[in-house]
Amino acid sequence: MLKAPLRIEGEYARPDDETLVREVRAPYAETTTIRGGEATIAREGRRPRSFALSRAPELAGLQASFGALLAGDAAALERDYRIESSGRREDWTLVLVPRGEALAASVRDITLRGRGAELRCIETRPVDGEPQRTLLAGAARAAIAAGDAADDAALCRETGIATR
Amino acid sequence: MTPARRTALALLWLAALLVAGWVVGQRLELSGDLRRFMPEPRTPAQKLLVDELGDGPGSRLLLLSLSGAGADVLAGQSRALAATLAANPDFEFVANGIDAGLDAVPESLRPYRYLLSPTLDGQRLDADYLGEQLDERLQDLGSPMAGLVEPLLPADPTLEMLALAEAWLPKAAPQRLHGVWFDADGAEALLLAQTGAAGFDPTAQQRAYDAVHAAFAEASGDSGAQLRMTGPGAFSVEIGGRTAREAQWIGSIDSIALVLLLLVAYRSWRAPLLGVLPLATAGLAGLGAVALAFEAVHGITVAFGFTLIGVVQDYPIHFLSQQRAGIDPRDNVRALWPALVTGVVATCIAYLTFLFSGVDGLRQLAVFTISALAAAAFATRFGLPALVDPAPRDLATSPRLQALWRGIERLPRPRWSLLLLAAACVAVLMAARGPFWENDLSKLTPVPEEGMALDARLRQELGAPDVRYVVVLRGDDADAALAATEALHPRLDVLVAEGALGGYDSAARYLPPVATQRARQRALPTPGQLRTALAEAMAGTPFREDAFAPFLADVERARTAEPLRPADLAGTPLAATVDSLLLQGDGSVAEQGATALVSLSGLADIDAVARAAAAAGGDLLDMKAASESLVAEYRGRVLAALAVAALLLAATVWIALRTPGRVARVLLPMALTTLVVLAVLRGFGIELNLFHLVALILAAGLGLDYALFFEHAGDRRDDQLRTLHAVLVCSLMTALVFSLLALSSIPVLRAIGSTVAIGVVSNFVLALLVSRHAAVPQASPPSALRAPSPAEAGEGTLQDRDAKEQPAPLPPPAGEGARRADGGNPAGQPR
Repeated sequence: MLKAPLRIEGEYARPDDETLVREVRAPYAETTTIRGGEATIAREGRRPRSFALSRAPELAGLQASFGALLAGDAAALERDYRIESSGRREDWTLVLVPRGEALAASVRDITLRGRGAELRCIETRPVDGEPQRTLLAGAARAAIAAGDAADDAALCRETGIATR
Repeated sequence: MTPARRTALALLWLAALLVAGWVVGQRLELSGDLRRFMPEPRTPAQKLLVDELGDGPGSRLLLLSLSGAGADVLAGQSRALAATLAANPDFEFVANGIDAGLDAVPESLRPYRYLLSPTLDGQRLDADYLGEQLDERLQDLGSPMAGLVEPLLPADPTLEMLALAEAWLPKAAPQRLHGVWFDADGAEALLLAQTGAAGFDPTAQQRAYDAVHAAFAEASGDSGAQLRMTGPGAFSVEIGGRTAREAQWIGSIDSIALVLLLLVAYRSWRAPLLGVLPLATAGLAGLGAVALAFEAVHGITVAFGFTLIGVVQDYPIHFLSQQRAGIDPRDNVRALWPALVTGVVATCIAYLTFLFSGVDGLRQLAVFTISALAAAAFATRFGLPALVDPAPRDLATSPRLQALWRGIERLPRPRWSLLLLAAACVAVLMAARGPFWENDLSKLTPVPEEGMALDARLRQELGAPDVRYVVVLRGDDADAALAATEALHPRLDVLVAEGALGGYDSAARYLPPVATQRARQRALPTPGQLRTALAEAMAGTPFREDAFAPFLADVERARTAEPLRPADLAGTPLAATVDSLLLQGDGSVAEQGATALVSLSGLADIDAVARAAAAAGGDLLDMKAASESLVAEYRGRVLAALAVAALLLAATVWIALRTPGRVARVLLPMALTTLVVLAVLRGFGIELNLFHLVALILAAGLGLDYALFFEHAGDRRDDQLRTLHAVLVCSLMTALVFSLLALSSIPVLRAIGSTVAIGVVSNFVLALLVSRHAAVPQASPPSALRAPSPAEAGEGTLQDRDAKEQPAPLPPPAGEGARRADGGNPAGQPR
């Protein structure tokens, strides 16, 4: 559909335990609020749209990483996904494979990569189509610094140490 | 015949009844369709109510609320419940907020989206618009919605499908949590279910109600969640259940009391058995006759019918009370026959008028009661004599009865006091305030306060349509009706904006009229224009050049397709919605044209909506007013039938008794009692309804029998004593049964119970005072009630050949002197 992968920049925020805000700053402004199993997308000059989280597999990955991971709720994560961990403290990888049929129908797996306490990349591989990556923290800064030339796939896999 | 054989025969009869009852029950098809009990509708509103709608669009809706568990748990249950019910053919649709997206638009209709959606009405499909839209889509692809949107884009870069799906959503949908509707507090998951059957079809509503409960039980497991259901169907099922439970409970107490009363009255354990046989035979005969003559027996026929034939319980009692040593049971029943048959024939002739009422339910009622009364009379006449103990204790020798009768004889015969009583009753009736009739049938089955509150809250949260008001627009055909509806939309939109109306729904929202679709087609660009515009819009975007080829094909298809018509929707989920809002005749001359309905929710300013409807050539229809006018018309027919019935009944009694004095003795208590009952009810401020009327008919029938038997007993003390015993047992029994009903919490049962209970007491007292003859104890032979010879009995005429016509002329009893001054023929005086 698109000639090149779409790149957007922004920030995630967790104002409280139940809410996750995804704020896009460039190339346009958009705020997505995830709360109570619903996502609401607001754009300037538009009526907000909302839809069920279960309809957006990408969000399921976000929920898994931010929701359970940041809350340190390993049990919740374990309930929804089979977890395989590998690597070492400075370069770890968690692969989450959905247990539920509904999610497994659209999401093959979700890979989280990080260094120490820093989550650097979330890669969601759908059953059909291209993987979708969210670079965070150091990886995101590196991608912004590299501009259009950034290789997202490589940045996602990088430990972050080598570039320093 | 030995006592053992008689008992065996009676039990055999009972067993035969049980078998016959089972057989009738097998082929009996109970119908709950209230329309059978409605007269022919006349006004357009009534026609709509009865023929087409059944009820307003809101009345087939069930509103469900799940609570008592976590939001995510409830959401899961809501989804499971909706899936189960959606697969059930009894439900037209189930909505819980899920699938509000694209699945709402059937695949086959997708190319028509530019004809159905109003988006392009004020907007050309040109390069500017497409460029704007493509920018938006790029953002969509970067948003969490990407997965939803991406598959649609090649054919639909403007996301017209989503616009359409959103436009089709209920205007005031509740908030969604975990993908399903929740109330504002997030504590209750909300669902809407529309049944295929009308709200007034209790059988179908019961099925739907049970299906919802079963589906919920399965979905909720042991989560502790609760289901609450409101809506007309749920209420009628719950109230119906409550009425049935209460009636059953009262019925059980009544049965025990009846058995005890009969045991005490006759000091024989066989009496209750013999007492019940004619009633059971009558009920079965009635049911059987109706089942044979009509397609389906209405539930109300059965309920009213069994109320009305309560009178046949008296037949065996008269017979048992008269039986004593020295008289053959067959002679006994032959002697009773004239009085009994006069009552039966007079009542049957009265019910015959129902056959010509033009109301199917009343015809059923007539067939039921006439067959039942006849069967009971014949059962008593030909069945019972073989079964009774031929020589029980002679009740005339009871010292207590004798003492009672002596007391009664000391009572003065009322004359002017009766006139006074009648005048007092009329005065009360005139003075009583408030409307005479209660037309609102829903008041008879009141919904508990908390149920009403819950219903109002759920209705508001879900934006469910109003049950009472609906806008009706007519057209020569479906398209004309749709066009009229579409013309009303802007006016309603203004009202919604002003807050006079919460929201509305109409068929034209889903399917615009052909003219509108054609106009939209004309506004679509040609393939060449579109290709140019798209190329211009795509310049400089990251989209691939060939990304939107399916879009070009779809627009061209929409531009050249035949406009959609209602029939094209068949097989899509839209069909049910459009069909329920667009009523089309079957094409016959009588049913030409189509009617479009606009359902309303959150109605705040009824007058404003009525004005808007009128300005668009429609009407705001008040379902409640229409149903009340139907009830009033129905009652008019019942009253007319009753007036004719009263005349026929009087004529029958006249033919049977011949003498004006005797006729007066028999008819006066009954007529006065009707007046007394009406006065008492109205005096207490009770507004009368159809159930009071039916109960009045029963009371009148009882009164007629009491008077006939008192009059029939003649002037011999022993006969009078036995008749007193019989009527005492009869009236005690009836008063007991109906007093208990009068104590019920259900207004329908209370109406029937109070009317009959007052009627029985008044009938008994008046019959005793007015109908009895003064006793002539010294003239009484040992066997007081003269049994006619077999030859006489064989004539089987209606003519009353009772004892007092046989002896030599007697001097008029002292108490009768005043009667003569009245100019009338003194009753009991030989001709």
